Amino acid sequence: MIFFVYSMLAFHPQLDFSGQGNWGKGAQTSMDVSQYIIYIFTFFFILYSMSAFLKSRKKEFGIVMMLGMSVLQLRRLVFLENVVIGLASTIAGIGTGLLLSKGMLMLGTSVLALEQPLAFYWPVRAAWFTFAAFALLFVFISLFTAVILRSGTLIDLLKGSAKPKPEPKASAGLAILAAALLAAGYIAAFVVKGVVVIMALLPVALVVSVGTYFLFTQLSVYIIHKLKNRQSLYRSKTNMITLSDLAYRMKDNARMFFLVAIISTVAFCAIGTLVGLKSFLSGFVSASTAAMKYESYAGNKEQERHTALIERELTEAGIAYKPYVIRKKYALDEEKVRRFALIPATDYERLTGERATLGEREALLFYSENVNFGEETGPMPDSFPMRDGTVLDIRENAAMPASLAQITYADVLVVPDAAYEAQPASDDDSISYVYDVEDWPSTLAVAKRLMEQLQRNGEHHSFMARAYELNQLHQSFGQILLTGLFIGAVFFVAAGSFLYLRLYADLEHDRVQYRAITKLGLTEGELSKIVSTQIGLLFFVPIVVALIHGAVALNTLQNTFNANLVKESALVLGSFAAIQIVYFLIIRAGYVRKLKNVL
Amino acid sequence: MLEVRNVSKVYEGKIAYQALSNLSLTVPKEQFVGIMGPSGSGKTTLLNVVSTIDKPTSGQVIIDGKETNRMNKRQLALFRRRELGFVFQDFNLLQTLTVKENIIFPLTLDNVSVKEQDARVHRIAEKLGIAHILNKRTYEISGGQSQRTAIARAIIHDPKLILADEPTGNLDSKAAKDVLETLQMLNREEGATMMMVTHDPQAASYCDRVIFIKDGALYRELRKSGSRQMFSRKLWAYCPPLGGRKMNFRQFAVKNVFRNMRLYAAYFSAAHSRS
Repeated sequence: MIFFVYSMLAFHPQLDFSGQGNWGKGAQTSMDVSQYIIYIFTFFFILYSMSAFLKSRKKEFGIVMMLGMSVLQLRRLVFLENVVIGLASTIAGIGTGLLLSKGMLMLGTSVLALEQPLAFYWPVRAAWFTFAAFALLFVFISLFTAVILRSGTLIDLLKGSAKPKPEPKASAGLAILAAALLAAGYIAAFVVKGVVVIMALLPVALVVSVGTYFLFTQLSVYIIHKLKNRQSLYRSKTNMITLSDLAYRMKDNARMFFLVAIISTVAFCAIGTLVGLKSFLSGFVSASTAAMKYESYAGNKEQERHTALIERELTEAGIAYKPYVIRKKYALDEEKVRRFALIPATDYERLTGERATLGEREALLFYSENVNFGEETGPMPDSFPMRDGTVLDIRENAAMPASLAQITYADVLVVPDAAYEAQPASDDDSISYVYDVEDWPSTLAVAKRLMEQLQRNGEHHSFMARAYELNQLHQSFGQILLTGLFIGAVFFVAAGSFLYLRLYADLEHDRVQYRAITKLGLTEGELSKIVSTQIGLLFFVPIVVALIHGAVALNTLQNTFNANLVKESALVLGSFAAIQIVYFLIIRAGYVRKLKNVL
Repeated sequence: MLEVRNVSKVYEGKIAYQALSNLSLTVPKEQFVGIMGPSGSGKTTLLNVVSTIDKPTSGQVIIDGKETNRMNKRQLALFRRRELGFVFQDFNLLQTLTVKENIIFPLTLDNVSVKEQDARVHRIAEKLGIAHILNKRTYEISGGQSQRTAIARAIIHDPKLILADEPTGNLDSKAAKDVLETLQMLNREEGATMMMVTHDPQAASYCDRVIFIKDGALYRELRKSGSRQMFSRKLWAYCPPLGGRKMNFRQFAVKNVFRNMRLYAAYFSAAHSRS
């Protein structure tokens, strides 16, 4: 089982490498960084599992030493053992990775909506790289474990980890402190909005981390202690053995719980952020980009040819479209701070299909309410001085409708045609040729062809298409997302495996205990109830804490972006919870079976 | 109270090994029976079969009129914790619990009220002289106190039959004497029916009746008459002398193989069933 976990971890980075050759340069750096993170994490994880494994074999080492094996020989034994295990699991990992890589590549393609499928190839370099990296890693770990082993005297080894321990105690003060720290962190996370979030990030994270640490080391023990004092609850059915065992384990496991909870929180947040950011950006792009738009700036001699080309391509592809032509002039307001796009009323009416009943000296103002990261935009003016000296009264002041937002990022003034004509021409002026296509996702192929011929930004024009922009976003985001998912998954698997190893280390002790209790007359149902409760708590307490942390963090994130991430975060957290439940069921079944085997 | 009828126990495997062969035995109410015999004679197997932890290959074990081989696993577990009391060589106290919690453990499983639990535990602790250590942890008390705690746990639910497996095996002679006197007192004052496996004649001399087992069958039986000291001397006479005969290493090795036959058999049968 441990080997399997090793190989799982071993082939993760391998998959990472194998993908690299095919995916552009885009998120190369982030992939590299993630590789290092995974590597470092794997190192600690394997170190931990190795030492857990060694601890459970203390008695065996004691016996061979009693039979006369020297310390040096023992170290050599452990070292060689580790090297063999390491080599075998690295090779097994690369092998499994190879077998699974095709499937993973296909999965990656479909999940990330990549254009051309990721082709399968022999990742020779990746394999060698993995092999070398992990060989090095195992040699280091073997050295480490050989050093770890030097612990104490023969009698300690023989007695193994079965030495009696005093009952864990918790201080009420620290328990209250834990609750207070968590509450403070949460309140801060809920209250802060906008830019302050970034400043509050570090202190809140610190406070919550410390709070979590004390939650596990103090508050949990304290709560169990309180429960134990409720005699009628404590002394009925299997509660007594469950609770007292739990109190012992809680203290032992507190540090590991803390680690698992924080790691999982980081994983949740990373993935939640990425997923949220992606949907937020796609939403932003599709709201601010017209189905297809050709922007012609002053001095463009090719606009006839280009617009004709666009129309021809669209028609040839059999795509129905509605063309609009919108003229724009740009002007600054009185304080010369804010820049407005002036649009003649007739163009506005045609585009939005609404009547703009304007007097001669009146204008409509539409402000854009896009990302401002919580910053106030300041009050809008009541009147607007035109270049020719006339002043327009602003009759209406409203948020920009989508159709206007797709034409310009600037705030918009809809002015009477006469006033528009009176405004002198400048180099900033432009004409937007908007092609509204209802079934815009189908324009991707056309948009790509056009993009090749027209270029996104020409000397006197620019061209944009929603389908194309979204596609670009998905492509580049896909890699980051995949990387994030990978790291998240590795952390998650590692967190689960920590718990498994913890259980494994306790197995021997549990066997002895449950064998004794069964003799006294514990039914199998009661046994599996006790074990399930204990393993369940071990599994879900840190994860539930992490889920709550993650939910709070994502909520704060939502405030930062002014975006609604509820759906995305629910999806991320929900799937993590589901995986954890499956994980729990599998490990519980295995553990109960192992216990019953020896009874 | 206890009736063992033609019980045989065979450990299946490549080398089938008969641990008990057609053994019959009756223990009347309120009797304190000792089981003696050399290593590998089958006395622990007998105890395991009687205590329903192990199933006989053939034959019946009837405790208080109930046929234990007719019960399923769950019923057996309930039967053990309601009708039987156990005292083990290595105490088998739960490390995570206090002395008091260890004693009331069987009661909590059966959901006895807290008041009732406290009443019983105090009465028994007084009787066994462990009232002052009730709130200590198992690693804070001596071996003799541990075994008396285990005895308290064994009798707290008024079992029909108390089974003790080498209860003095891990104790020094002073603690052993305490524990044995405790058991005898329980037998005399509370009228408990007890069965104790031991290979120490000194320990066995506290019993009313001692049964010798050899090669899985009854071999001889002695009843106490007269003083304990006299009974003890009689028992010593039946036991192989402690440091008597000389033995060279080869003899020891060969003997050891036979002595461990049961272990091998168990190992092979386990290996067999695994494959």
